[in-house]
Amino acid sequence: MKKVYDVLWWLIFIVCATAAQAAVPGVDIMTVGLIILLQERDYRNLAWLLPIFILMQEGMGTRSFGAAIIWYAVVIILFKIGRWLFEVENFVFVFLLSACLGVAYFGVTWSLDPLQDVAFNTEDAVNASLMQAIFLPFTWWFLMLTRRWKKHEQEN
Amino acid sequence: MTLRLFLLLAGVLLILFLGMYSWNQRTHVLDDLTTNLGLELTGGVLDPINALEQKSKDLWNRYFDLVNVRDENARLRHQVEELEARLLAQGEDMAELKRLRELVQLPVDASWRPLGARVLAGRMGPNAVLDSITINRGYSTGGRPGTPLVTHLGLVGRVLKASAHSSIALLLTDPSSRIAVFTQESRAPGILVGQGIHRKLELNFVQRAAKVSPGEILVTSGLDGKYPKGIPVARVLTVAPSDYTQFMAITAEPLVDLLHIEEVLLLEPTGIPRPVDPGEAPKEFVGPPAPRAVMP
Repeated sequence: MKKVYDVLWWLIFIVCATAAQAAVPGVDIMTVGLIILLQERDYRNLAWLLPIFILMQEGMGTRSFGAAIIWYAVVIILFKIGRWLFEVENFVFVFLLSACLGVAYFGVTWSLDPLQDVAFNTEDAVNASLMQAIFLPFTWWFLMLTRRWKKHEQEN
Repeated sequence: MTLRLFLLLAGVLLILFLGMYSWNQRTHVLDDLTTNLGLELTGGVLDPINALEQKSKDLWNRYFDLVNVRDENARLRHQVEELEARLLAQGEDMAELKRLRELVQLPVDASWRPLGARVLAGRMGPNAVLDSITINRGYSTGGRPGTPLVTHLGLVGRVLKASAHSSIALLLTDPSSRIAVFTQESRAPGILVGQGIHRKLELNFVQRAAKVSPGEILVTSGLDGKYPKGIPVARVLTVAPSDYTQFMAITAEPLVDLLHIEEVLLLEPTGIPRPVDPGEAPKEFVGPPAPRAVMP
Protein backbone atom coordinates (compact mmCIF):
# COMPACT_ATOMS: atom_id res chain seq x y z
CA MET A 1 0.00 0.00 0.00
CA LYS A 2 2.88 2.37 0.85
CA LYS A 3 4.37 1.72 -2.59
CA VAL A 4 1.06 2.76 -4.15
CA TYR A 5 1.09 5.97 -2.07
CA ASP A 6 4.63 6.64 -3.22
CA VAL A 7 3.77 6.19 -6.90
CA LEU A 8 0.68 8.35 -6.41
CA TRP A 9 2.83 11.05 -4.76
CA TRP A 10 5.18 11.05 -7.76
CA LEU A 11 2.29 11.26 -10.24
CA ILE A 12 0.87 14.24 -8.35
CA PHE A 13 4.38 15.71 -8.28
CA ILE A 14 4.63 15.46 -12.09
CA VAL A 15 1.27 17.23 -12.54
CA CYS A 16 2.16 19.99 -10.04
CA ALA A 17 5.67 20.41 -11.47
CA THR A 18 4.26 20.77 -15.00
CA ALA A 19 1.73 23.35 -13.80
CA ALA A 20 4.46 25.22 -11.88
CA GLN A 21 6.75 25.23 -14.91
CA ALA A 22 3.89 26.64 -16.99
CA ALA A 23 3.44 29.40 -14.41
CA VAL A 24 7.14 30.26 -14.03
CA PRO A 25 8.94 30.26 -17.40
CA GLY A 26 12.42 28.72 -17.55
CA VAL A 27 12.41 27.01 -14.16
CA ASP A 28 12.92 23.25 -13.85
CA ILE A 29 10.90 21.93 -10.91
CA MET A 30 11.53 18.29 -11.85
CA THR A 31 15.16 18.72 -10.75
CA VAL A 32 13.83 18.88 -7.19
CA GLY A 33 12.19 15.50 -7.72
CA LEU A 34 15.48 14.09 -8.97
CA ILE A 35 17.31 15.41 -5.89
CA ILE A 36 14.70 13.85 -3.60
CA LEU A 37 15.05 10.50 -5.39
CA LEU A 38 18.84 10.65 -5.00
CA GLN A 39 18.59 11.62 -1.33
CA GLU A 40 16.24 8.72 -0.65
CA ARG A 41 18.40 6.38 -2.78
CA ASP A 42 15.12 5.38 -4.42
CA TYR A 43 16.65 3.92 -7.59
CA ARG A 44 13.58 1.86 -8.45
CA ASN A 45 11.42 4.98 -8.86
CA LEU A 46 14.36 6.83 -10.42
CA ALA A 47 14.44 4.23 -13.21
CA TRP A 48 10.98 5.19 -14.49
CA LEU A 49 10.79 8.80 -13.36
CA LEU A 50 14.04 10.05 -14.90
CA PRO A 51 13.07 9.05 -18.48
CA ILE A 52 9.69 10.74 -17.94
CA PHE A 53 11.39 13.92 -16.68
CA ILE A 54 13.72 13.92 -19.70
CA LEU A 55 10.91 13.17 -22.14
CA MET A 56 8.69 15.92 -20.77
CA GLN A 57 11.43 18.55 -20.55
CA GLU A 58 12.58 17.80 -24.08
CA GLY A 59 8.98 17.75 -25.35
CA MET A 60 7.95 21.06 -23.81
CA GLY A 61 11.21 22.79 -24.73
CA THR A 62 12.38 24.29 -28.01
CA ARG A 63 15.98 23.01 -27.94
CA SER A 64 17.20 20.02 -29.95
CA PHE A 65 17.20 16.73 -28.07
CA GLY A 66 20.04 16.31 -25.57
CA ALA A 67 19.94 19.36 -23.31
CA ALA A 68 17.87 17.65 -20.60
CA ILE A 69 20.24 14.66 -20.56
CA ILE A 70 23.23 16.98 -20.02
CA TRP A 71 21.37 18.96 -17.36
CA TYR A 72 20.25 15.93 -15.33
CA ALA A 73 23.71 14.35 -15.69
CA VAL A 74 25.18 17.54 -14.18
CA VAL A 75 22.63 17.40 -11.33
CA ILE A 76 23.52 13.76 -10.57
CA ILE A 77 27.29 14.38 -10.74
CA LEU A 78 27.11 17.46 -8.47
CA PHE A 79 24.91 15.56 -6.02
CA LYS A 80 27.33 12.61 -5.92
CA ILE A 81 30.27 14.99 -5.32
CA GLY A 82 28.24 16.66 -2.56
CA ARG A 83 27.51 13.29 -0.96
CA TRP A 84 31.26 12.67 -0.58
CA LEU A 85 31.68 15.91 1.33
CA PHE A 86 28.43 16.67 3.17
CA GLU A 87 25.37 15.26 4.87
CA VAL A 88 22.88 15.49 1.99
CA GLU A 89 19.54 15.52 3.78
CA ASN A 90 19.53 19.03 5.14
CA PHE A 91 18.56 22.45 3.87
CA VAL A 92 22.12 23.86 3.89
CA PHE A 93 23.33 21.15 1.53
CA VAL A 94 20.41 21.73 -0.84
CA PHE A 95 21.08 25.47 -0.66
CA LEU A 96 24.75 24.95 -1.63
CA LEU A 97 23.78 22.46 -4.32
CA SER A 98 21.25 24.88 -5.78
CA ALA A 99 23.91 27.62 -5.92
CA CYS A 100 26.22 25.23 -7.83
CA LEU A 101 23.32 24.19 -10.07
CA GLY A 102 22.61 27.86 -10.81
CA VAL A 103 26.16 28.17 -12.18
CA ALA A 104 25.79 24.85 -14.01
CA TYR A 105 22.51 26.03 -15.54
CA PHE A 106 24.32 29.04 -16.98
CA GLY A 107 27.08 26.74 -18.27
CA VAL A 108 24.65 24.36 -19.97
CA THR A 109 22.82 27.27 -21.65
CA TRP A 110 26.13 28.85 -22.73
CA SER A 111 27.42 25.60 -24.24
CA LEU A 112 24.23 24.38 -25.92
CA ASP A 113 22.77 27.56 -27.43
CA PRO A 114 25.52 27.97 -30.08
CA LEU A 115 25.07 24.31 -31.09
CA GLN A 116 21.53 25.16 -32.18
CA ASP A 117 22.33 28.60 -33.64
CA VAL A 118 20.34 30.28 -30.87
CA ALA A 119 21.64 33.72 -29.93
CA PHE A 120 23.09 33.49 -26.40
CA ASN A 121 21.79 36.33 -24.23
CA THR A 122 23.91 36.70 -21.09
CA GLU A 123 21.31 38.74 -19.19
CA ASP A 124 18.50 36.24 -19.86
CA ALA A 125 20.78 33.30 -18.98
CA VAL A 126 21.86 34.92 -15.69
CA ASN A 127 18.22 35.66 -14.79
CA ALA A 128 17.14 32.08 -15.55
CA SER A 129 20.09 30.67 -13.56
CA LEU A 130 19.25 32.85 -10.55
CA MET A 131 15.60 31.86 -10.75
CA GLN A 132 16.56 28.20 -10.83
CA ALA A 133 18.95 28.61 -7.89
CA ILE A 134 16.36 30.46 -5.79
CA PHE A 135 13.41 28.20 -6.58
CA LEU A 136 15.19 24.93 -5.90
CA PRO A 137 15.84 24.98 -2.12
CA PHE A 138 12.42 26.35 -1.19
CA THR A 139 10.59 23.92 -3.45
CA TRP A 140 12.68 21.10 -1.95
CA TRP A 141 11.82 22.25 1.57
CA PHE A 142 8.11 22.40 0.74
CA LEU A 143 8.12 19.00 -0.94
CA MET A 144 9.99 17.40 1.96
CA LEU A 145 7.19 18.56 4.26
CA THR A 146 4.79 16.44 2.21
CA ARG A 147 7.10 13.40 2.41
CA ARG A 148 7.51 13.13 6.18
CA TRP A 149 5.68 9.81 6.15
CA LYS A 150 8.42 8.40 3.94
CA LYS A 151 11.13 9.53 6.38
CA HIS A 152 9.31 7.89 9.31
CA GLU A 153 8.96 4.73 7.25
CA GLN A 154 12.73 4.67 6.53
CA GLU A 155 13.57 5.27 10.23
CA ASN A 156 11.34 2.39 11.28
CA MET B 1 37.52 3.98 -9.53
CA THR B 2 40.86 5.43 -10.54
CA LEU B 3 41.08 8.92 -12.03
CA ARG B 4 42.26 7.50 -15.35
CA LEU B 5 39.25 5.19 -15.59
CA PHE B 6 36.90 8.01 -14.63
CA LEU B 7 38.33 10.31 -17.32
CA LEU B 8 38.14 7.52 -19.88
CA LEU B 9 34.50 6.85 -19.02
CA ALA B 10 33.65 10.56 -19.14
CA GLY B 11 35.36 10.85 -22.55
CA VAL B 12 33.51 7.85 -23.96
CA LEU B 13 30.17 9.20 -22.66
CA LEU B 14 30.89 12.62 -24.16
CA ILE B 15 31.72 11.11 -27.55
CA LEU B 16 28.57 8.99 -27.42
CA PHE B 17 26.50 12.04 -26.52
CA LEU B 18 27.96 14.16 -29.32
CA GLY B 19 27.40 11.29 -31.75
CA MET B 20 23.78 11.03 -30.69
CA TYR B 21 23.37 14.83 -30.85
CA SER B 22 24.80 15.05 -34.40
CA TRP B 23 22.76 12.07 -35.60
CA ASN B 24 19.60 13.62 -34.15
CA GLN B 25 20.36 17.02 -35.73
CA ARG B 26 20.45 15.27 -39.10
CA THR B 27 17.50 12.89 -38.70
CA HIS B 28 15.36 14.56 -35.95
CA VAL B 29 14.28 11.09 -34.80
CA LEU B 30 14.69 11.89 -31.09
CA ASP B 31 13.18 15.37 -31.52
CA ASP B 32 10.09 13.82 -33.12
CA LEU B 33 9.91 11.19 -30.38
CA THR B 34 10.07 13.71 -27.55
CA THR B 35 7.61 16.01 -29.33
CA ASN B 36 5.13 13.20 -29.86
CA LEU B 37 5.42 11.77 -26.35
CA GLY B 38 6.72 14.58 -24.11
CA LEU B 39 4.70 17.44 -25.55
CA GLU B 40 1.58 15.28 -25.76
CA LEU B 41 2.01 14.31 -22.10
CA THR B 42 2.57 17.95 -21.12
CA GLY B 43 -0.50 19.04 -23.07
CA GLY B 44 -2.49 16.22 -21.51
CA VAL B 45 -1.53 17.44 -18.04
CA LEU B 46 -2.03 21.13 -18.74
CA ASP B 47 -5.32 20.91 -20.62
CA PRO B 48 -7.45 19.74 -17.63
CA ILE B 49 -5.62 22.17 -15.31
CA ASN B 50 -6.35 24.98 -17.73
CA ALA B 51 -10.01 23.96 -18.07
CA LEU B 52 -10.35 23.79 -14.28
CA GLU B 53 -8.74 27.23 -13.89
CA GLN B 54 -11.07 28.66 -16.55
CA LYS B 55 -14.14 27.10 -14.88
CA SER B 56 -13.26 28.50 -11.46
CA LYS B 57 -12.51 31.90 -13.03
CA ASP B 58 -15.88 31.86 -14.82
CA LEU B 59 -17.67 30.91 -11.61
CA TRP B 60 -15.98 33.73 -9.72
CA ASN B 61 -16.64 36.25 -12.50
CA ARG B 62 -20.28 35.17 -12.77
CA TYR B 63 -20.75 35.85 -9.08
CA PHE B 64 -19.41 39.36 -9.47
CA ASP B 65 -21.46 39.79 -12.65
CA LEU B 66 -24.60 39.08 -10.66
CA VAL B 67 -23.68 41.72 -8.11
CA ASN B 68 -23.50 44.44 -10.75
CA VAL B 69 -25.98 43.00 -13.23
CA ARG B 70 -28.68 45.70 -12.85
CA ASP B 71 -26.32 48.62 -13.51
CA GLU B 72 -24.65 46.79 -16.32
CA ASN B 73 -28.01 45.93 -17.92
CA ALA B 74 -29.05 49.59 -18.00
CA ARG B 75 -25.69 50.58 -19.45
CA LEU B 76 -25.85 47.87 -22.11
CA ARG B 77 -29.42 48.80 -23.12
CA HIS B 78 -28.26 52.36 -23.66
CA GLN B 79 -25.28 51.08 -25.65
CA VAL B 80 -27.53 48.86 -27.82
CA GLU B 81 -29.77 51.83 -28.66
CA GLU B 82 -26.72 53.86 -29.59
CA LEU B 83 -25.31 51.06 -31.76
CA GLU B 84 -28.65 50.50 -33.50
CA ALA B 85 -28.73 54.17 -34.44
CA ARG B 86 -25.17 53.96 -35.71
CA LEU B 87 -25.94 50.79 -37.67
CA LEU B 88 -28.87 52.50 -39.39
CA ALA B 89 -26.63 55.40 -40.30
CA GLN B 90 -23.99 53.11 -41.71
CA GLY B 91 -26.41 50.83 -43.56
CA GLU B 92 -26.14 52.95 -46.68
CA ASP B 93 -22.33 52.88 -46.52
CA MET B 94 -22.35 49.09 -46.16
CA ALA B 95 -24.59 48.69 -49.19
CA GLU B 96 -22.28 50.92 -51.18
CA LEU B 97 -19.23 48.93 -50.06
CA LYS B 98 -20.93 45.71 -51.14
CA ARG B 99 -21.70 47.16 -54.55
CA LEU B 100 -18.16 48.47 -54.98
CA ARG B 101 -16.67 45.10 -53.93
CA GLU B 102 -18.77 43.35 -56.51
CA LEU B 103 -17.71 45.95 -59.04
CA VAL B 104 -13.96 45.46 -58.56
CA GLN B 105 -14.39 41.71 -57.78
CA LEU B 106 -12.28 41.94 -54.62
CA PRO B 107 -11.15 38.36 -53.90
CA VAL B 108 -12.05 36.89 -50.54
CA ASP B 109 -9.12 34.69 -49.60
CA ALA B 110 -10.50 31.17 -49.16
CA SER B 111 -7.08 29.53 -48.96
CA TRP B 112 -6.98 29.72 -45.12
CA ARG B 113 -9.50 28.37 -42.58
CA PRO B 114 -9.53 29.84 -39.03
CA LEU B 115 -9.52 27.40 -36.07
CA GLY B 116 -9.78 28.48 -32.44
CA ALA B 117 -7.14 27.33 -29.93
CA ARG B 118 -6.51 27.94 -26.26
CA VAL B 119 -3.09 28.99 -24.94
CA LEU B 120 -1.97 26.45 -22.31
CA ALA B 121 1.30 28.04 -21.26
CA GLY B 122 4.10 30.37 -22.23
CA ARG B 123 7.73 29.23 -22.24
CA MET B 124 7.99 26.04 -20.22
CA GLY B 125 11.01 24.44 -18.60
CA PRO B 126 14.75 24.99 -18.92
CA ASN B 127 14.83 23.94 -22.58
CA ALA B 128 12.38 26.57 -23.76
CA VAL B 129 14.97 28.99 -25.13
CA LEU B 130 12.77 30.52 -27.84
CA ASP B 131 9.89 32.96 -27.25
CA SER B 132 7.00 30.55 -27.55
CA ILE B 133 3.56 29.51 -26.33
CA THR B 134 1.99 26.07 -25.95
CA ILE B 135 -1.51 25.67 -27.44
CA ASN B 136 -4.11 22.91 -27.24
CA ARG B 137 -4.11 21.98 -30.92
CA GLY B 138 -1.69 19.55 -32.53
CA TYR B 139 -1.08 18.11 -35.97
CA SER B 140 -4.22 15.98 -35.81
CA THR B 141 -6.41 18.94 -34.81
CA GLY B 142 -5.21 21.68 -37.16
CA GLY B 143 -1.91 22.79 -35.59
CA ARG B 144 0.68 21.50 -38.06
CA PRO B 145 4.17 23.02 -38.00
CA GLY B 146 4.19 26.25 -39.99
CA THR B 147 0.51 27.10 -39.35
CA PRO B 148 0.12 30.86 -38.69
CA LEU B 149 -1.43 32.07 -35.43
CA VAL B 150 -3.48 35.26 -35.17
CA THR B 151 -5.87 37.05 -32.83
CA HIS B 152 -8.51 39.64 -33.74
CA LEU B 153 -5.79 42.28 -33.31
CA GLY B 154 -3.13 40.77 -35.54
CA LEU B 155 -0.40 38.20 -36.07
CA VAL B 156 1.01 36.18 -33.15
CA GLY B 157 3.48 33.78 -34.82
CA ARG B 158 3.47 30.28 -36.27
CA VAL B 159 3.51 26.67 -35.05
CA LEU B 160 7.06 25.43 -34.53
CA LYS B 161 6.57 21.83 -33.40
CA ALA B 162 3.49 19.74 -32.80
CA SER B 163 2.36 16.54 -31.17
CA ALA B 164 -1.06 15.01 -31.89
CA HIS B 165 -3.07 17.35 -29.65
CA SER B 166 -0.66 20.08 -28.50
CA SER B 167 1.85 22.30 -30.20
CA ILE B 168 4.47 24.95 -29.49
CA ALA B 169 4.23 28.18 -31.47
CA LEU B 170 7.10 30.57 -32.13
CA LEU B 171 6.16 34.16 -31.32
CA LEU B 172 6.98 36.96 -33.74
CA THR B 173 9.16 38.59 -31.06
CA ASP B 174 11.67 35.73 -31.05
CA PRO B 175 15.07 36.68 -32.52
CA SER B 176 14.81 33.81 -35.02
CA SER B 177 11.46 35.05 -36.39
CA ARG B 178 11.48 36.67 -39.86
CA ILE B 179 8.26 37.92 -41.47
CA ALA B 180 7.86 39.50 -44.89
CA VAL B 181 5.74 42.62 -44.43
CA PHE B 182 4.91 45.91 -46.04
CA THR B 183 3.72 49.18 -44.60
CA GLN B 184 -0.02 49.64 -44.95
CA GLU B 185 -0.01 53.15 -46.42
CA SER B 186 3.30 53.59 -48.25
CA ARG B 187 3.43 49.87 -49.29
CA ALA B 188 7.19 49.73 -48.60
CA PRO B 189 8.34 46.09 -48.32
CA GLY B 190 10.67 44.86 -45.57
CA ILE B 191 11.53 41.97 -43.27
CA LEU B 192 10.29 42.18 -39.69
CA VAL B 193 12.77 40.66 -37.23
CA GLY B 194 12.11 39.84 -33.55
CA GLN B 195 14.54 40.96 -30.85
CA GLY B 196 13.10 39.25 -27.76
CA ILE B 197 9.81 39.46 -25.87
CA HIS B 198 10.58 42.71 -24.02
CA ARG B 199 12.34 44.40 -26.93
CA LYS B 200 11.13 46.29 -29.98
CA LEU B 201 10.84 44.61 -33.37
CA GLU B 202 13.15 45.70 -36.19
CA LEU B 203 12.03 46.29 -39.76
CA ASN B 204 14.97 45.61 -42.07
CA PHE B 205 15.67 46.18 -45.76
CA VAL B 206 13.32 49.13 -46.26
CA GLN B 207 14.62 51.46 -48.98
CA ARG B 208 15.64 54.98 -47.90
CA ALA B 209 13.28 56.47 -50.46
CA ALA B 210 10.27 54.83 -48.77
CA LYS B 211 7.95 57.26 -47.01
CA VAL B 212 7.29 55.34 -43.79
CA SER B 213 5.93 57.30 -40.84
CA PRO B 214 5.62 56.42 -37.12
CA GLY B 215 2.23 54.96 -36.25
CA GLU B 216 1.87 53.22 -39.60
CA ILE B 217 0.68 49.59 -39.47
CA LEU B 218 2.80 46.77 -40.89
CA VAL B 219 0.89 43.99 -42.64
CA THR B 220 2.08 40.63 -43.94
CA SER B 221 2.97 40.73 -47.61
CA GLY B 222 2.59 36.98 -48.14
CA LEU B 223 5.80 37.01 -50.18
CA ASP B 224 7.48 34.53 -47.81
CA GLY B 225 4.73 31.98 -48.45
CA LYS B 226 4.41 31.42 -44.69
CA TYR B 227 1.64 33.87 -43.81
CA PRO B 228 -1.50 34.98 -45.63
CA LYS B 229 -1.29 38.43 -47.18
CA GLY B 230 -2.75 41.41 -45.33
CA ILE B 231 -2.65 40.39 -41.65
CA PRO B 232 -1.75 43.34 -39.39
CA VAL B 233 1.46 42.58 -37.49
CA ALA B 234 2.96 45.62 -35.80
CA ARG B 235 2.90 49.40 -35.47
CA VAL B 236 5.89 51.52 -36.52
CA LEU B 237 7.47 53.35 -33.59
CA THR B 238 10.57 55.11 -34.94
CA VAL B 239 11.90 55.78 -38.43
CA ALA B 240 15.42 57.05 -39.19
CA PRO B 241 18.09 56.49 -41.83
CA SER B 242 20.45 53.72 -40.69
CA ASP B 243 24.01 54.69 -39.71
CA TYR B 244 25.40 51.37 -40.86
CA THR B 245 23.38 50.19 -43.87
CA GLN B 246 21.88 51.67 -47.01
CA PHE B 247 18.39 51.01 -45.63
CA MET B 248 16.13 52.68 -43.05
CA ALA B 249 16.39 51.85 -39.33
CA ILE B 250 12.79 51.21 -38.29
CA THR B 251 11.51 49.88 -34.98
CA ALA B 252 8.00 48.59 -34.33
CA GLU B 253 5.84 47.05 -31.61
CA PRO B 254 3.52 44.04 -32.00
CA LEU B 255 -0.19 44.83 -32.18
CA VAL B 256 -1.03 41.85 -30.00
CA ASP B 257 -0.11 41.84 -26.30
CA LEU B 258 1.89 38.62 -26.52
CA LEU B 259 2.37 38.32 -22.76
CA HIS B 260 -1.35 38.10 -22.07
CA ILE B 261 -2.96 36.08 -24.85
CA GLU B 262 -5.43 33.38 -23.85
CA GLU B 263 -6.98 32.35 -27.15
CA VAL B 264 -5.64 32.38 -30.69
CA LEU B 265 -6.85 31.52 -34.17
CA LEU B 266 -4.90 29.06 -36.26
CA LEU B 267 -5.04 29.71 -39.99
CA GLU B 268 -5.12 26.26 -41.50
CA PRO B 269 -4.33 26.08 -45.22
CA THR B 270 -7.37 24.71 -47.07
CA GLY B 271 -5.49 23.78 -50.20
CA ILE B 272 -7.61 26.14 -52.30
CA PRO B 273 -5.21 28.34 -54.31
CA ARG B 274 -5.17 32.02 -53.42
CA PRO B 275 -7.15 34.10 -55.93
CA VAL B 276 -4.92 36.35 -58.01
CA ASP B 277 -4.70 39.92 -56.78
CA PRO B 278 -5.93 42.30 -59.53
CA GLY B 279 -2.87 44.47 -58.90
CA GLU B 280 -0.45 41.54 -59.06
CA ALA B 281 1.82 41.07 -62.05
CA PRO B 282 0.92 38.13 -64.31
CA LYS B 283 2.92 35.00 -63.53
CA GLU B 284 3.88 34.30 -67.12
CA PHE B 285 5.48 36.66 -69.57
CA VAL B 286 3.12 36.81 -72.47
CA GLY B 287 5.17 38.92 -74.85
CA PRO B 288 5.55 42.59 -75.51
CA PRO B 289 2.48 44.82 -75.51
CA ALA B 290 0.74 45.27 -78.81
CA PRO B 291 2.06 48.32 -80.72
CA ARG B 292 -0.16 51.34 -80.40
CA ALA B 293 -2.07 52.35 -83.44
CA VAL B 294 -0.30 55.20 -85.16
CA MET B 295 -2.33 58.29 -84.85
CA PRO B 296 -2.84 60.12 -88.10
